[in-house]
Amino acid sequence: MSAKNTGNIAQGLAAATCSLLGTAATLPVLAQEQPEWEFDTALLYYGEDGGRVQDLSLNLLARRLFADDRILSVGLAVDSLTGATPSGAVPQDELQTFTRPSGESTYQVAAGEMPLDDTFLDTRYALTASWRQPLGRDYAGTAGLSFSTEYDYTHVGANFALSRDFNKRNTTVSLGLALARDELDPEGGAPLPLGFMSDVRDLSERGGTENKDVVDLLLGVTQAVNENLLVQLNYSLSDGTGYLNDPYKILSVVDPLSGDAILRTPAPGAAGPLHQYRFESRPDKRTKHSLFGQGKYFMGGKVLDMSYRYMTDDWGIDSHTLETKLNLPLGDTSYIEPHLRFYTQSEADFYRASLVDGEPLPQFASADYRLGSFDAITAGLKYGWRTSSGKDFAVRLEYYRQDGEIPTHQLIGSHDQSSLYPDLDAVILNFSFGFGM
Amino acid sequence: MAAAARQTSPSVTRRQDHWCGDFVAMASPCQILSKSDRATARKQLEQAAAEAGRVEAKYSRYRRGNIVDRINSANGSPVLLDEETANLIDFAATLHRLSDGRFDITSGVLREVWIFDGSDRVPEEGQVRAVLERVGWPKAVWESPVLTLAPGMQIDFGGIGKEYAVDRAAALAASLSDAPCLVNFGGDIAAVGAVSGGPWRVGIEALGAGSGEAFKRIRLQQGGLATSGDARRFLLKNGVRYSHLLNPQTGWPVVDAPRSVTVAAHTCTQAGMLSTLAMLMGADAEEFLERQGVRSWCIR
Amino acid sequence: MRRIRVGFTCLLVLAAAAACTSMGAEPWERDVLAKEQMQLVTDPVEAAIDDHIYFSKEASSGGRGFGGGGCGCN
Repeated sequence: MSAKNTGNIAQGLAAATCSLLGTAATLPVLAQEQPEWEFDTALLYYGEDGGRVQDLSLNLLARRLFADDRILSVGLAVDSLTGATPSGAVPQDELQTFTRPSGESTYQVAAGEMPLDDTFLDTRYALTASWRQPLGRDYAGTAGLSFSTEYDYTHVGANFALSRDFNKRNTTVSLGLALARDELDPEGGAPLPLGFMSDVRDLSERGGTENKDVVDLLLGVTQAVNENLLVQLNYSLSDGTGYLNDPYKILSVVDPLSGDAILRTPAPGAAGPLHQYRFESRPDKRTKHSLFGQGKYFMGGKVLDMSYRYMTDDWGIDSHTLETKLNLPLGDTSYIEPHLRFYTQSEADFYRASLVDGEPLPQFASADYRLGSFDAITAGLKYGWRTSSGKDFAVRLEYYRQDGEIPTHQLIGSHDQSSLYPDLDAVILNFSFGFGM
Repeated sequence: MAAAARQTSPSVTRRQDHWCGDFVAMASPCQILSKSDRATARKQLEQAAAEAGRVEAKYSRYRRGNIVDRINSANGSPVLLDEETANLIDFAATLHRLSDGRFDITSGVLREVWIFDGSDRVPEEGQVRAVLERVGWPKAVWESPVLTLAPGMQIDFGGIGKEYAVDRAAALAASLSDAPCLVNFGGDIAAVGAVSGGPWRVGIEALGAGSGEAFKRIRLQQGGLATSGDARRFLLKNGVRYSHLLNPQTGWPVVDAPRSVTVAAHTCTQAGMLSTLAMLMGADAEEFLERQGVRSWCIR
Repeated sequence: MRRIRVGFTCLLVLAAAAACTSMGAEPWERDVLAKEQMQLVTDPVEAAIDDHIYFSKEASSGGRGFGGGGCGCN
């Protein structure tokens, strides 16, 4: 009873059907599966104002669909960074001199200006790969690797996820684990925590390379509420240990009454800072908890996407993120999508605008604005279209603004709220192109 | 949550680029998708629903007094058939011959001993053999338009009826408008009309995958699409899974059939026949489909 | 205390998930849910780009998935 006994019955069947339906089927059958390969590319420009960071990046994602819903994804990203970033030192009414991270030379910041370190001209390469496949009837598993490298930083990571479906695939429960080992090799070596910024070529207070390990755990539930509404709820736990400092960030040491940085004299014949600065120090452990919820609601063609994330960690930072997108179709082949994101975070316990001379040195201290207390808003618009040959294009323009606030008790002497926090204004411009093969 | 109950005045709702009308027939959720204007889409929906209802009433084995009931209770007497039923019997006879006896509309009585409820109640050899006496198209006398079944035999249009109804409804829709239209009776599909704009996106439930990526997405612009599967009706005993597809020559289930077979062909009737025959081929399903030169998707 | 609150929220979530047995759509009603625009992440490249930007400029990361590959972003 094998197929070998039955020849091509299609012709006989066609004739029989023709007799039955009374029509001759002469039109070709046009049925095709979704393409095997899907490519997504994006070109991104990110630019902060005030001579700060500019990033140009190219992203590629290739996905290959195999039989039985197995999927291979490979991603490549190349980022080219230029521009300057706030070092953590406070502006002064006089000229400031800083030793570059390499320890080879100095750079200067004019009176009244926010100290920015412009050492970072760097290109970062990142590679990701992942494999997803069904495991039996209701389970699916994913395994992936990630790798990235830049001149002073290397990252290697692995991730795994398992998901199970329930209730006719209306409910999915997922469990994920990610492990990462990062290696930092800062220019001039990792500085000693809270060590002084020294003269050029004085590497007495510098170390070598440092490591950082991160373990992430994720537990999630996705639920189709009805034909038009999908919701997701995730809990994640992130545990980082090792060198969690930013090796280039510093704090100014200031006078307790005037708030002016303490003067310093470089060694005879050497160039170096004219004021006292200390490198930051963060704990060597950080545990973060996040709760994330997202909903996607279909409203007769329009799709509303709303999400909220709450994050809390043992550094004292609490954050809330509220994000919404509305996908509005324009005709059959294009759409616009306005986007709004609100973000707020509280400062880390050890965040301080500056260190006070004469006071005992705290165990941990950082003036990195990214650990401070700030509100941020992103507002953007995306326009996308699909050509008749099935190629997808999109353009996205967004504006991102951060507004920080330094706790009043940290404002010392002449310190002024409005000029101390390096508020951020950035533009995001993104071109996307995707196609299948 | 089943689809909307039968409505006396069916209505169509607007999706992004087409009209959609739903109704229930042949124990399946049915829908008409039309890119025509609203009034025409409504007419297409009305006519499709009416045709589905007519085919169901005429050929369901559950209805008292219809042609199938009369044939099945004739107890050896000849029955005179109308033209449409004679055409269907001709079709079934041809299929029986083309498939070397694997497709047999008299095999329905086997359901007396095979009840596929997910339990482990598998019938005994003796029981199956007894019922098998009353199975076999060659035992019937067919001289169009007169059909005579041996006493105890029954015919069942379950394997042809839905796909036939889809093609009939699609033809009615095509006669009302040239705009693309898709008829979907519980997964048996036909796409007719002009090939313009984007294709219809049909998702086949891919068993055993995680959510989101679960569908095999097929772009259908013209032709018929039908799926045969054993996902929900089976028996499980001693670790052996007995699919609900019975081989009419042995009386026992086909072994090693794929979990699901989807075929694209010129009409839904052809697609349905090929997917059913592929399933009946068991382990050789893929090989069979390749020989037929049709686009198909098997999930094991 | 915070840990207890977080743990309790997790239990609530799981209980809610268990109670969701009657919610959802039948397989033949999933045409909308299968649309590209209804996937939780419609554009993975865009999501990765945004995740990377906010990871570099803020103290929080991830939530939807993993926080992305590490970087020495300043």
